[in-house]
Amino acid sequence: MKISFNINNQNRELELNPNQTLLTVLRNNGFTEVKCGCNEGECGACLVLLDDKAVNSCQVLAMSVQNKKIKTVKGIGTLHNPNLIQKIFAGTGADQCGFCSPGMIVASYSLLKENSSPSDSEILEGLDGNLCRCTGYIKIIEAVRRSSSVLLKNNVEAE
Amino acid sequence: MLSENLKWYFPSSLPQAVKLIQKPGIILHAGGTRILKTQSKNIIGLVDISNLKLNYIKSKTNSFHIGAAITFNELIKYSKENNCLKMLAAALSQAASTPLRNRITIGGSLKDFPLWSNLYAPLIALNAMMEIKGNKSGIYSVEEYVSEGMIKSKHIIKEIILPRKEEFAWKVMRFALLKFEYPLFNIAISLKLNGKMIDDSRLVITGVRNRFKRFKKAEKFLIGKNLSLNLLNEIEKFVEPKFVSDYKYSSSYKETIAKVYFKDLLSEIIKENL
Repeated sequence: MKISFNINNQNRELELNPNQTLLTVLRNNGFTEVKCGCNEGECGACLVLLDDKAVNSCQVLAMSVQNKKIKTVKGIGTLHNPNLIQKIFAGTGADQCGFCSPGMIVASYSLLKENSSPSDSEILEGLDGNLCRCTGYIKIIEAVRRSSSVLLKNNVEAE
Repeated sequence: MLSENLKWYFPSSLPQAVKLIQKPGIILHAGGTRILKTQSKNIIGLVDISNLKLNYIKSKTNSFHIGAAITFNELIKYSKENNCLKMLAAALSQAASTPLRNRITIGGSLKDFPLWSNLYAPLIALNAMMEIKGNKSGIYSVEEYVSEGMIKSKHIIKEIILPRKEEFAWKVMRFALLKFEYPLFNIAISLKLNGKMIDDSRLVITGVRNRFKRFKKAEKFLIGKNLSLNLLNEIEKFVEPKFVSDYKYSSSYKETIAKVYFKDLLSEIIKENL
């Protein structure tokens, strides 16, 4: 069956089975920037924004979010038009293998959109659903801190 | 694996939804996390509750009314204005992770009552009520809902009704060896104080045999007593949580740990209010 979704500000009709997760449907329809890690809601590689809230797309049945606003990491910024947070992640060395990065960016974007000046404990809480097996998190947390200070300095939101 | 022929229903009223779930194999869908964990092949239909307008928190003179579709994070964000909401939020903020808390709903967590739920202990300690629709429609205490086996009947949870309380001391905790592990148990303690004297107390643990336990003898013992660290030694004999052994932990291990944490939490409350 085909169901309508709004993905990265575009209305799309996607082919799906009624038992499929949002992660499966997105990846089957070309949104491969959403990564499949644990498929159990623990690693955060599959994070997307659902009506502006970060969710594990592997823990969402696609049928339940039809007509809702979905934003993947490419809706935040792309290779040729990166978002400020993505630029700072790259500049800080906050990604190594890069597999967790889409989820980390989505979580950081969601956190900074809600709270442009998070404390360290708020950063840890905001990223508590994301695992990284390479960086040891130090650079990731630093990238969020730096993103926050640049956003504050420029007096802009995480857009 | 969920069936490929799964049917979805999107009712717009509670009676419609109640009617749908009377059929075998048709269950409610709120956040959906539990359904995906169990992946039961026996599920043939899902009744989505998103059109039932149950995503509200209403503040009334004597109570808060929390709709079943409110997510853990929505409640946590709302919780700053009142002490009992803060107690509930403190327990919920220890559950799962930020993105999962954006999906897990109050109603879904109550309906399934996983042993590891962080929700039940504070609700019972706060003497919360709940309104259900369907078989046995009515308003029940959360404690009654679990004890009387209503949890298994075919119904929809409409809302939680939380009595508005300001002046009381509380502690909640979730015991797990790793943050991402399901907890072995949850503890919630609330003490109504009149100066240094304990006017009322509720001591609850979940994750034990029969889902939860209120230590009523300990509660009775505390009422009328003045806060003192000596109470800790005396109360020990009234706190006897009974657990079931599992593949990782023996029941006696869990009992020992739970007792230690119970005393620690009570000790913190006493020290903070002496």
